Amino acid sequence: MATGILPKEIAIYAVPLVTLLLGLLIGYLAQRSGYCSIGGFRDYFLFRHTRILSGYLSLIVFSFLGYLLFWFLTPAAMEHFFWALSSDPFSPVPGAPAGLVPAAYLIFAAVPGFFVGFICVLLGGCPIRQTVMASEGSYKGGFFFIGMCIGSIFFAAYVSGWAVLLMKSLGFGA
Amino acid sequence: MIPPQPIGPIRHYTSMLIRHPAFLGALIGILAAFSQALLISAGGPEAYGFCVACHTRDLVNGMTNIIADTNLALAPISKNAILPVMSVVGVLIGAFLSAKVNREHKIKRDTTRAYLVYFLGGFLVLQLAMLFGGCPYRAALRTGYGDGTALVFIITMALGVVAGTLLMLKRAEREET
Repeated sequence: MATGILPKEIAIYAVPLVTLLLGLLIGYLAQRSGYCSIGGFRDYFLFRHTRILSGYLSLIVFSFLGYLLFWFLTPAAMEHFFWALSSDPFSPVPGAPAGLVPAAYLIFAAVPGFFVGFICVLLGGCPIRQTVMASEGSYKGGFFFIGMCIGSIFFAAYVSGWAVLLMKSLGFGA
Repeated sequence: MIPPQPIGPIRHYTSMLIRHPAFLGALIGILAAFSQALLISAGGPEAYGFCVACHTRDLVNGMTNIIADTNLALAPISKNAILPVMSVVGVLIGAFLSAKVNREHKIKRDTTRAYLVYFLGGFLVLQLAMLFGGCPYRAALRTGYGDGTALVFIITMALGVVAGTLLMLKRAEREET
């Protein structure tokens, strides 16, 4: 069990507050800069513009540097850093539906990845861009966000169970 | 018409910096690592500092669990804490404040058909993102954390963007002729 800077008794109260402040800052700056991951790839492919893409690339680089920094400062909080060295490089960090072999998670990364990119570029923005546009007063972004909210209940109630069942019937059960 | 006020070089560079996406990307990366260092005792998973899809899921399912006494799945960090993660609420409020302060807030209506398309789009994107276990942002954080599957996600996402862009170009050409 990983332990962070705050002990568990305080951390459970700090979670909503810290994430709220983090979100406020990110939301403010995302509105100022037009931050978007999908838009970055799209603009690079269409016009060879790198401005928006640089945001996504710097996120990858600086998240590595940030994790590296806090791995030096608080090693107990970064239990499995660097993931590829401490475990199988193609097994996922937990978060997807559990109980499958690593090959199943590669499928879960490749297929949804393609369709997330495809759908989001047709709708003109990744989830954070739609959320920011909803805050700017766009009804379309608002409906995208409502769709995500209804979808999260639907996913927990049905889809995650179906997906695990499907993969297990295909022989990917762990 | 008020003539634009001359601004000092420090303010000029600060304003340029906060309007550049690369600065925000660096900030999210560092802050996500910091929030994991701070809060990981409350529960996993790792590399979970910022994610739009997962944090929406945690917020909606967590609040539904509290209000309607259901038992929908959510990340341990939100299950153990008194309230689920609130970063999406923060993004909504922060972007609203920024749009108001900079006079960019403008109500934009559209057709019912567009609303339906965007609703379905949001619905589908969430299902797909949750199968992978994160939206593009958590994919970037996981890649930084050393997870190969997240890199696969980013590569196929870029391919999906190329396919979608080609489709849009083709559709635009057909409309011109």
